[in-house]
Amino acid sequence: MLDKWTAMGAALEARPHLLRLGRLFSETVLIQLGEDEYYLTFEKGHLADVTPGPSRKTPWRFALRTDADALKAFWQPIPEAGFHDVFGLVKIGRARVDGDILVLVKNLRFFKEFLALGRDMGRGLEVSA
Amino acid sequence: MSALIDPIVGRYVTVTLSGRTHRIYFEEAGQGRPVLCLHTAGADTRQWRHLMNDAEVTATNRLIAFDMPWHGKSLPPEGFETEEYLLTTEAYIETVLALVEALGLEKPVLAGCSMGGRISLQLAALHADRFSGFIAIEASDFQPAWYDIDWFHRPDAHGGEMGAALVSANISPYAPNAERWNTLWMFMQSGPGVFRGDLSFYTKDESLIPRLPQIDTAKTPVHILVGSYDLTCTPEDAQRTADAIPGATCTVMEELGHFPMSEHPEGFRPFFIDALDKMPA
Repeated sequence: MLDKWTAMGAALEARPHLLRLGRLFSETVLIQLGEDEYYLTFEKGHLADVTPGPSRKTPWRFALRTDADALKAFWQPIPEAGFHDVFGLVKIGRARVDGDILVLVKNLRFFKEFLALGRDMGRGLEVSA
Repeated sequence: MSALIDPIVGRYVTVTLSGRTHRIYFEEAGQGRPVLCLHTAGADTRQWRHLMNDAEVTATNRLIAFDMPWHGKSLPPEGFETEEYLLTTEAYIETVLALVEALGLEKPVLAGCSMGGRISLQLAALHADRFSGFIAIEASDFQPAWYDIDWFHRPDAHGGEMGAALVSANISPYAPNAERWNTLWMFMQSGPGVFRGDLSFYTKDESLIPRLPQIDTAKTPVHILVGSYDLTCTPEDAQRTADAIPGATCTVMEELGHFPMSEHPEGFRPFFIDALDKMPA
């Protein structure tokens, strides 16, 4: 899974429009997949660091808590209804967003498009949580 | 070589709403049975552009769509700069009826999407005599907001961009990419506080619920269309609403979302043509 986040960070670097959208986004985001935690630190739209958790001393701005199967369904080329969007996952009870949700909303297009890179990058990077 | 010019014609009509003058932009295309089309919250008439350019649809139907006050090319009323825009059921009904009157529409079919679908059902319950039938798209009795509507009007962020990012959750992954972004562009363009004011109506007014059983579908048919990928008005929401209206029909559109006429015109047109077939000729 760490490889997947790293690959998504590299895919982000190849998308100037996304870096421009994220230029004011310098925050740490917690992604929780079941028992596993990943702290994604963004610096001005770049994914600067990914640290696996769990950690009690890493501050984060907002968290997306879901499970590996839900994320795998989210990353399908044509996801099923409900699995097609972060808030879809929330609506069907497969994810929760915690923390400073307003920061997420202010950067929503950036974060959603970053997360969707896992879908767009193509094959060969299966989720193994 | 001849340029491609749409058959859509846009004009303005002046109406009085709650004692105030409004210059309303409307478009139309086609001839025959009048079909008045209502756009969603935070958007405008451009959502209907594909159906208005559809020769099969417009061969026997005169499609008319207008921009609600504060939306698209309809300016807000004089003095708007000190007002908070909050749409109400009463103001929305008054606006639709005023346009029917001003444009001389004789019992049009009313086709509305999202908040336009909601008000179509209100009109089906309260003013059915002015219409021949109702196509309620992504329409339901009521849903409370699963978001904070105040997010979309803040001095420190662009409400339109945030609104577009949020409503993209309701667009189907089957939608062609170009039309997905055309659909989102309208939200990005909506005026400050307008999407929030529309959502105030859409997420806070429950008055439709007890009115649904009053709708007489023997006189004016009601057909509800809903996309599987609509997170705001889910197929369950639409079916519950149809079940509360004696005689109403409901079709789930498997590969579509909350803005079907705009996000996926090819996918939507057979459902819309079928809905028109269910309406009085």
